[in-house]
Amino acid sequence: MNPLCTPGDHHLSRRAFLGGGLSLLASPVLAEAMRQKDKQVLFVWLDGGLSQLESWDPKPNTEFGGPFRSIKTSVPGVQFCELMPKLAKQMHKLCVVRSMCTKDNAHSSGVDRIQRGDPKNRGVPYPHFGAGVAKLLGPGASGLPPYVWIKPGSGGFRAEDAGFLGPKYGSLAFGDGKPPENLLRHPDISAEQDAARNELRQMLDQRFAAKREKRVVEANASVFDMAEKLMARADIFDTSRLPERDRDRYGRHDLGLHMLVARQMLEAGVRFVKVTSYGWDTHGDNFNAHATMVPKFDQAFSAMLEDLEASGLLKTTLVICLSEFGRTPRINGHVGRDHWPEAWSIAMAGHGVRHGTLVGETNDKGTAVKSQPYDIGSMFHTWYRALGIDPLKTEFDNAGQPLPIAHDEMIPIKEALA
Amino acid sequence: MKLDPTQIAEINSEHQISAARFSSDGSVLVTSGYEPLVRCWLFDGKTLTPLPSLEGFHGYSTAIAFHPKLPHLFCADSWGQLRCSEGEKTLWQHEAAHDGWLRQIAVSPDGRCIATCGKDQFVRVWDAATGQKLSEHAAGEDVYAVTFSPEGQQLVFGDMLGRLVVMDRDLKKAQRTLDAAVLYKLDRIQDLCGLRMLLFIEGGKTLLAAGTTPQNGATPQSIPTILHFDFASGRLTQTFTHGASKEGFIHDLVQHPQGFLMAVTSGTPGSGMLLLTNPADKEPFHVNTKMANCHALALHPDGAHFVVTSTNRDSNGNGRSLGKNGEYKTNRSPLHLFEV
Repeated sequence: MNPLCTPGDHHLSRRAFLGGGLSLLASPVLAEAMRQKDKQVLFVWLDGGLSQLESWDPKPNTEFGGPFRSIKTSVPGVQFCELMPKLAKQMHKLCVVRSMCTKDNAHSSGVDRIQRGDPKNRGVPYPHFGAGVAKLLGPGASGLPPYVWIKPGSGGFRAEDAGFLGPKYGSLAFGDGKPPENLLRHPDISAEQDAARNELRQMLDQRFAAKREKRVVEANASVFDMAEKLMARADIFDTSRLPERDRDRYGRHDLGLHMLVARQMLEAGVRFVKVTSYGWDTHGDNFNAHATMVPKFDQAFSAMLEDLEASGLLKTTLVICLSEFGRTPRINGHVGRDHWPEAWSIAMAGHGVRHGTLVGETNDKGTAVKSQPYDIGSMFHTWYRALGIDPLKTEFDNAGQPLPIAHDEMIPIKEALA
Repeated sequence: MKLDPTQIAEINSEHQISAARFSSDGSVLVTSGYEPLVRCWLFDGKTLTPLPSLEGFHGYSTAIAFHPKLPHLFCADSWGQLRCSEGEKTLWQHEAAHDGWLRQIAVSPDGRCIATCGKDQFVRVWDAATGQKLSEHAAGEDVYAVTFSPEGQQLVFGDMLGRLVVMDRDLKKAQRTLDAAVLYKLDRIQDLCGLRMLLFIEGGKTLLAAGTTPQNGATPQSIPTILHFDFASGRLTQTFTHGASKEGFIHDLVQHPQGFLMAVTSGTPGSGMLLLTNPADKEPFHVNTKMANCHALALHPDGAHFVVTSTNRDSNGNGRSLGKNGEYKTNRSPLHLFEV
């Protein structure tokens, strides 16, 4: 018997859904139960493509294996590239999928397809995973913005990440982990004056709402709500309080600092925290590049796992680390590896995933997936399941049109789930 | 200088080559590259014929150097192995001379010792005859290049940050540091090291640091560069650059007995040059762009021949590139034999 769900199962659930007339998410009981558990997500995005051969799936001493050695991990029989010694000691906390096989090898279309779960074309843009989680699980008890993004460079609100869910569920980006400009109330404005201004704003909002779409109005109001919550918790951006020891443990580089800010966000109760590191597109000088970048990732990500475990947050936080794709086995004339969606790896940890688990395998040379291949749609099924959301029974509501939350012809990776 | 080398042969190699050197008597060419082998080729003046390879390396064979007088070959790999061979016979070997990637080997002019450097941030000096470790120095950064001064009493190594450190041959004391920081850039979280080669010319009066001036990480765009240092004062006296930013790195640099410099470059796939230039000139007197992505240049001791290794065209591409028979395509390094 196939232990996995089939597309047919899903069609039944859709009928059940339509027959019921309401999304299960519309059930206040279920939604509240989800929110009470306050599950969180840390989503680490290595923009470009981390080479699977120089990280999670080394093939030392083979034709395309590159110059590096592999090292043992804390799980017998599982080896990582030597560039990840700290994560190798934490493999027992991780679930690594080595059998990713996705569709797109271009940045322009690939980023969207991966971050939106590459659903079937429904004629509307699908939400990023973070927006989906923000919609389905809400902001949690903290009330803080449910989907934040810590990234190098500029910040701002990215409504487009929410797709058809509406701008309210977009990502709030903190450039370089810093708070939005002018976050705090100006010292010349008293609390009473501020309250009076807000009262006036709300009155004007009602007039504004009368002539506009509900979701646009919601988005407008949510920005003020977010600002209010952030004003009350401006401390979550304050890295000056961080112990020097933590700065050293995470690494005195962008990724280390941003991961520390992410830890503060998770500790404060933010539902979904995305951390981006740019520059993982090593078409040239791939090995020297990975030799300097992967150890920094290893340092920051492993410190985060240690701290989430120590604080108990790893029990309630789903941790995901991925790129747009992997990198080609063959090495080009620029000593680089190009884009490779054919056989690459994703790592997970924390809530809902089976720890110390290796899923799938590639062939001896790393040129193809040898086991059951998984597309990104399967990962969305897996991640939603890990968060306690059944993708076969839960649907998005696109202005009255029910849409599946994950690709309806794909299935979760059961061996990756706890 | 007017000189126009003529290519007299192109020899196929099914593997990618990163370094090539002729033996001191010129009879054998050896190559290292992206495989755990050191390949040997018989040179008859007209072509190269494969000889049995040296096996037993791991990862990549990364560095090769011949003894100046004896038929001894020193070679290394990316897992830290260092070996001395005579023909197919191993004279001595260290499986872990360095912890991981051993980047370069330099042989002292008198042939009595060799120096090695590696990603483990160490520089080590070894007795060339016995393989005994004589001294070591913790450099504190990944060390990319090493060379001896022409009189053999000093050793210079260059690290990832572009620091060229001058030490006595016994590695007991760092005497001074030359600043080649222009060859280093931090881009986001990537440390880009542009240094690839160190070479003394003019009897040790000038030290050359060759590679590239990094502009960006990930997919580097950068111009081939040679820095000229007055070795006595440490002063940068000249910066030679040639080509557009797609041209990338000078990967190999040698001096011809007539005094001119010979360099090969590799950058964006498809780019690649052989450059011949007089040390004092701002522009090369000969540029050959017919070969893509050149990584190694071996000058024959007769000065009349040299070999450039390049990379096949169309070496890059996203996704799965398949050959005529549906096999996953690999790349290779043709060997171009030139006559001066």
